[in-house]
Amino acid sequence: MLPTSEQQALIEHPISSKVFLQGLAGTGKTTAGALWLQKLILSGIPPHQILVWTPQRALAQPYLDALRQMDQPVFSLLNTITLGGLARRMVDLFWPAVSRVVGVANPDLPPHFLTLETAQYYMAHVVHPLIVHEGLFSSLTINRNRIYSQILDNLNKAAIVGFPHHEIGDRLKSAWIGDVEQIHIYDDVQVCVNHFRSFCLAHNLLDFSLQVEIFLQHLWPSALCQGYLTRTYRHLIIDNIEEDPPVAHDILRTWLPEFDSALIIFDENAGYRYFLGADVESAYTLHRSCSEMVHFSDNQVQSLPITHIQSGISRAIASLNRKPEPSADLMPEDIRAGLETPGEKIKYFPAMVDWVADRIRTLIDAGVPPGEIVVLAPFMPDVLHFSLANQLDALGIPHRAHRPSRSLREEPATQTLLTLAAVTHPDWNLLPKRINLAFALMQAVNGLDLVRSQLLTAYTYKEFAKENAFPLQPFEVVPPATRDRITYRVGERYDRLVSWLHSASQEDPQTLDFFLNRLFGEVLSQPGFGFHNNLESGNTIATLIESIQKFRWAVGAQIGPEPFTIGKEYLQMVQDGVIAASYMHSWEQPDEDAVFLSPAYTFLISNRPVDYQFWLDIGSPSWYQRLDQPLTQPYVLSRNWQEGDLWDAEDELSAAFDSLHRLSLGLLNRCRKKVFLGMSELDVRGYENRGLLIRIFQQVFQQAQKGAA
Amino acid sequence: MILPDDFVFTQSNLQDYLDCPYRFYLRHIRHTRWPALVVDDAVAFEERGQIGARFHRLLQQYLLEVPETRLTDLAAADPSPDVLNWWQDFLINVPPWLSGIRWVEATLHAQLAGFHLAAKYDLVLAQPPDGLVIFDWKTSKKRPRKEWLLNRVQTRIYRFILCKSGSALLKNATVEPEQITMQYWYAAFPTAPISLPYDARAHEKDQAFFTRLVNEIGSRKADSFFRTEETRHCRFCVYRSHCDRGTQAGDLAAFEDEELENETDLQDLDFEAIEEIEF
Repeated sequence: MLPTSEQQALIEHPISSKVFLQGLAGTGKTTAGALWLQKLILSGIPPHQILVWTPQRALAQPYLDALRQMDQPVFSLLNTITLGGLARRMVDLFWPAVSRVVGVANPDLPPHFLTLETAQYYMAHVVHPLIVHEGLFSSLTINRNRIYSQILDNLNKAAIVGFPHHEIGDRLKSAWIGDVEQIHIYDDVQVCVNHFRSFCLAHNLLDFSLQVEIFLQHLWPSALCQGYLTRTYRHLIIDNIEEDPPVAHDILRTWLPEFDSALIIFDENAGYRYFLGADVESAYTLHRSCSEMVHFSDNQVQSLPITHIQSGISRAIASLNRKPEPSADLMPEDIRAGLETPGEKIKYFPAMVDWVADRIRTLIDAGVPPGEIVVLAPFMPDVLHFSLANQLDALGIPHRAHRPSRSLREEPATQTLLTLAAVTHPDWNLLPKRINLAFALMQAVNGLDLVRSQLLTAYTYKEFAKENAFPLQPFEVVPPATRDRITYRVGERYDRLVSWLHSASQEDPQTLDFFLNRLFGEVLSQPGFGFHNNLESGNTIATLIESIQKFRWAVGAQIGPEPFTIGKEYLQMVQDGVIAASYMHSWEQPDEDAVFLSPAYTFLISNRPVDYQFWLDIGSPSWYQRLDQPLTQPYVLSRNWQEGDLWDAEDELSAAFDSLHRLSLGLLNRCRKKVFLGMSELDVRGYENRGLLIRIFQQVFQQAQKGAA
Repeated sequence: MILPDDFVFTQSNLQDYLDCPYRFYLRHIRHTRWPALVVDDAVAFEERGQIGARFHRLLQQYLLEVPETRLTDLAAADPSPDVLNWWQDFLINVPPWLSGIRWVEATLHAQLAGFHLAAKYDLVLAQPPDGLVIFDWKTSKKRPRKEWLLNRVQTRIYRFILCKSGSALLKNATVEPEQITMQYWYAAFPTAPISLPYDARAHEKDQAFFTRLVNEIGSRKADSFFRTEETRHCRFCVYRSHCDRGTQAGDLAAFEDEELENETDLQDLDFEAIEEIEF
């Protein structure tokens, strides 16, 4: 595709330029960035000297694609980076140079980099005793895992916003205007933060916040690290700078003068990751470090009706927020072309899902590629995903989902492995319930259905075995009539498995990950067992084992002094829901031509326009309300928060309008043709919701009627 | 062709193909992970890999001018005595060879017959007047024969890609094969590096070899990546149960006798693939 005139004008700038490029989503900025990259390389700059910086790694993909699509040979590879990646890399590389000044107890030993899982684990380890023995958070009735994750969230915010972690509690308290109990909660947060940080320093554990702090405070200012970075990278391309936190902007502000060229791309009306510290105002100040400012205004995505609907939504939000705007050019034909709602009122949620599936089928029958359709909701809970997936499966429509926090422990394959591990280690006192074992055996042994598996375990499983006795009996203990029913062939497989497990239980203790490697390789993936030739399950189990392995590496001997079994600890944490929320590898989610089912924000961040969008559950306040997070507050912990200000109901409402404005306009900037509004009177939980988004669309319809009049 | 457009051939995936086309298919095209053990003594195997990785990191830090005294502190505190011994041997023997311009952990890329090839180097050194030395650090306990190393995919592809794409490092000056030497340094044999100079004849042979190889792989259909007939490879292959080629992993000593190396992680091309938390 030929460049637009705006893109052409950009790439005609000299390669020594430092350009700040801004514009709305859909105006072709990233494409221009990719063209800029190609221009740099065509001018003889080796790719390894070019740094592409994005808030998430996936957003660098267009640049990697652009490099591959070049006709001329490319002699090296492009470097793509995020703030987190840069901090992690530099701390790893230059650790010995700073380890004596960062406060760790063992500066001559390498650091242990914590993952999300292991950080959550250690947080639980540190905070749980404080809750149980010292009564912290006694007035809170939320799941403990949410307590741990919100404390981590606070630490991370302090690091990426750039204030000391010991000020978290005071900042939160200073903005609070409610009952005193909440003040105690914020005090408790600070106690936990302090304990966790001390624990990490005592054991060389680096969570995300500590990695970022060490990089910012010790490495970035050092000649060694900064010299390395400035020598290595001579040209910079930043995309979606508005989604990065302020400390990223601080670094870039000081780094920019060192580059031979720079292109900074700023998406107007964005900043969707504000709850993760994105700071639009801070990002925008980087234009002062550039010699040129370029603005793109030609939308390459939207049809005119979508543009008009977008104006209508903007006006409706302004009106509801008591900041009226001039009337938009919205006409009934815009609504007909760009918006579709169910013909009749739909009362129940399943009927709405039926309607969505039916409309998707109609689109695909008309020749729309499935990849040009997204189905969006504020969240994508299992029940919604399951209902949609079932409907689309029934219609033979390919679909894919992106649910970032998919939990491994929900996968049958991982449940099977962990259940068999628990059975093999009765001394852990984590023996599974009979039904769970029956389910695991059904997965593990070919030819065993749930009914026969339950029959089998009724005779062979001693759920309450004494004195750490191995709890599984051989097939021969099953009465003959039942053996006939189960079949001897299945019984022989069962015996092979049990015999292997029994032998393993007699051996010296081995690490859980290697135990599972062996169980999988020597038994469960052999002929006659459930994972033989089951490549998908292989991938899932590999992810589980990787999670355990990282847990083992990170936990090691840090936790003491009592005798401690890492495998047991892992299993316990999985059962408690603290860990095993591992992310699936990106390559396990092929980017096929399929209908995309996604939370709305995830779709926004993926930065990919489509022809058709379905917005579900639009009555839900989740489209604009903050998550209920009693231990943290993204606005108060942002750099823009003025010390001494109070967060009140008006701020909350204003934030909701702002959030809804950004979200709805951002989605429409990524929609070429039409939005389908999935509305039912009762939502997925059976509640009647009449949130702001419904009222906004009612106003949009009224505006169109007025336009016609 | 079932190779994706963005597929990059490396020494490790080409070695996989040469060992077993089906393993290449499963691992690099289907991205199937099969969580069985590579060798029986998984603990020792993992430990050796980690010791090697820590030592490589020390050398990388040294080359990036992290103070030597601090690195010695870390080597001395390392739980494995091998690391300090290797480090001291490195300091005695290697620095005199390191004069010149350094590219540490450099990755070069080349195109061949419409395919992409890449190599990640521990160190490339430009030495006057126009020499280019590829250093590769090895922590395996055995020092292989020179002839074996010469035929190794790593030696061939590292020298070949540097010849084709070294201009990216040298401000677009072309690189002749005779400028290149590959230098293997075995930490357990610190005074006896193995030096493998390159020449035009070897370059021509490599060009023909890699052209044939990538074309062969690129033209295969999914069902023609056959299982190897050399079943000795299956002992150390995680897919053995999937292929019905055995139950238990081969033993670690035999793995080392075969001169195989537990260094695949270090040769991973994607420097960014380290665990990164996207907050």
